[in-house]
Amino acid sequence: MYVARESGLHKLHPLTKILFTLLIITAGITLPGDWTGYFLILLIVLPLAYWGKVFPNLVSTAWKITLPIAISVILIQSLFWGKGTPIFEFWIISPKIEGARYAAVSLGRIFLIMTDFLLFSMTTRPDTLMIALKQVGMPSSIAYIIVTTLQIVPSFQRKASTILDAQRSRGLETEGNIITRARAVVPIILPLVLGSLVEVEERAIAIEARGFNSNKKETSLIEIHDTQLQKNIRSGFILMIVGCIIFGILWRL
Amino acid sequence: MAFVNIQKLTYQYPLLQKPVLQDINLQINQGEFVAVVGPNGAGKSTLCYALAGFVPHFFKGELTGSIEVAGMESSKSTLSEWVLNVGLAFQNPFNQISGAKYTVFEEIAFGLENIGVPREEIKKRVEDAMALTGISDLADRSPYSLSGGQQQRVALTSILVMRPKLLVLDEPTSQMDPIGTREVFGTIRKMAEEGMTVVLVEHKVEWIAEFADRVIAMKDGSVLLEGKPNEVLTSELLAENGFGISRYTTTAREAKKQGLWKKETLPVTLDEAVEGFKK
Repeated sequence: MYVARESGLHKLHPLTKILFTLLIITAGITLPGDWTGYFLILLIVLPLAYWGKVFPNLVSTAWKITLPIAISVILIQSLFWGKGTPIFEFWIISPKIEGARYAAVSLGRIFLIMTDFLLFSMTTRPDTLMIALKQVGMPSSIAYIIVTTLQIVPSFQRKASTILDAQRSRGLETEGNIITRARAVVPIILPLVLGSLVEVEERAIAIEARGFNSNKKETSLIEIHDTQLQKNIRSGFILMIVGCIIFGILWRL
Repeated sequence: MAFVNIQKLTYQYPLLQKPVLQDINLQINQGEFVAVVGPNGAGKSTLCYALAGFVPHFFKGELTGSIEVAGMESSKSTLSEWVLNVGLAFQNPFNQISGAKYTVFEEIAFGLENIGVPREEIKKRVEDAMALTGISDLADRSPYSLSGGQQQRVALTSILVMRPKLLVLDEPTSQMDPIGTREVFGTIRKMAEEGMTVVLVEHKVEWIAEFADRVIAMKDGSVLLEGKPNEVLTSELLAENGFGISRYTTTAREAKKQGLWKKETLPVTLDEAVEGFKK
């Protein structure tokens, strides 16, 4: 996920960035207004992506991830919305305007969470995040899980495509109509899942062999630069997150 | 007192019906380079796990007998204490990458960070270890962008950098080309001469004959034969029991039947074969 660039956003302390990411998401969910999510993307996430020099990467990845979700949400919400104004009616199919509107509103939040996290992971090296999290007292096993999860997506994709090629070369039909495609899912998913379980065991052994559970106080090779200003800003972010949550609750009462 | 001392070791994995290791007795001296050979399912990898403390600490299961390394007993130590003395690298290099590091240099430093080595010393030790295994030029690459053989070198270096007293390697060169294999065997040999004790599971018998001090042949969870590499690897017993045999040994054995091989002992490596046939 990480995109190596020289930018001000890249240079910020990982905790500053993660707190800001959480703040934007909290704001998008708690603040009133149906279109807050979209506004936050346009006014904050995208300009920051531009500043962080990851704008094209962010847009193309976000597009690929969110398009299937968007289609399914719009279809389901508009088709299965109970009562409302139909957009058109054809046989038993009658999408409702209210459903489509609800879908658009919830998609705004989904897009926001997605782009916000992408922006964070594209501009933050996972290992610096791990060090930063441990410095504020997070147990190293939890920090490890968070960091490897950020890295696992590309490796999972690589493995899936290897399995796909392997099964194709054994004659598995993966192209054609929907039924053929559906039948190809099991022979691809099964090895992927079972393989990952084996991998987890081996990886656990490998990191244990390298002293992962040692009781000694850990050190780190990389130094992360922090400033008093960023520390103050982080406190501000925490206050703002709490503020957003309180405001969101009060406003909905 | 031997540096590694295994007494009457019998071990059974949970959920399995019969023991994988049966009544193993083994003594290894400090600085000795011991190779373990055997067909699939002989218990070689389990023996590695037992030496490295993962049997029984990680896999659970039933263990009787004792494993001692450097005067410590496995059953009386915790795994995190044990790994400070015993390093383990195994076959699949991909799964040995921590997944939390961005460059090879940092990947190798991972273990040292975990055991709390100061920053400056980490840098020094990682540089030295990389120079030793010949991967200094990979320092800034992503561990995931490497070839299988390169990843295996990284996995080996990641363990060597921790300076274990006993180094346990389970087919560490399976994805390397012959040149890479020779270099790695040379490195391991050098470590042994500097006092590190090495236990290596390996199928490439010609390399074992050239580099190891002693060979242990395992079958069905027991030690079938043990001794000097050339004696063990050319034994009739191994050929009868489905072990991997050097083609030079097989050739010379046939030649001996035809009266074409005059020497008393059989060869394992090409050089020995050439020399023998010249006579």
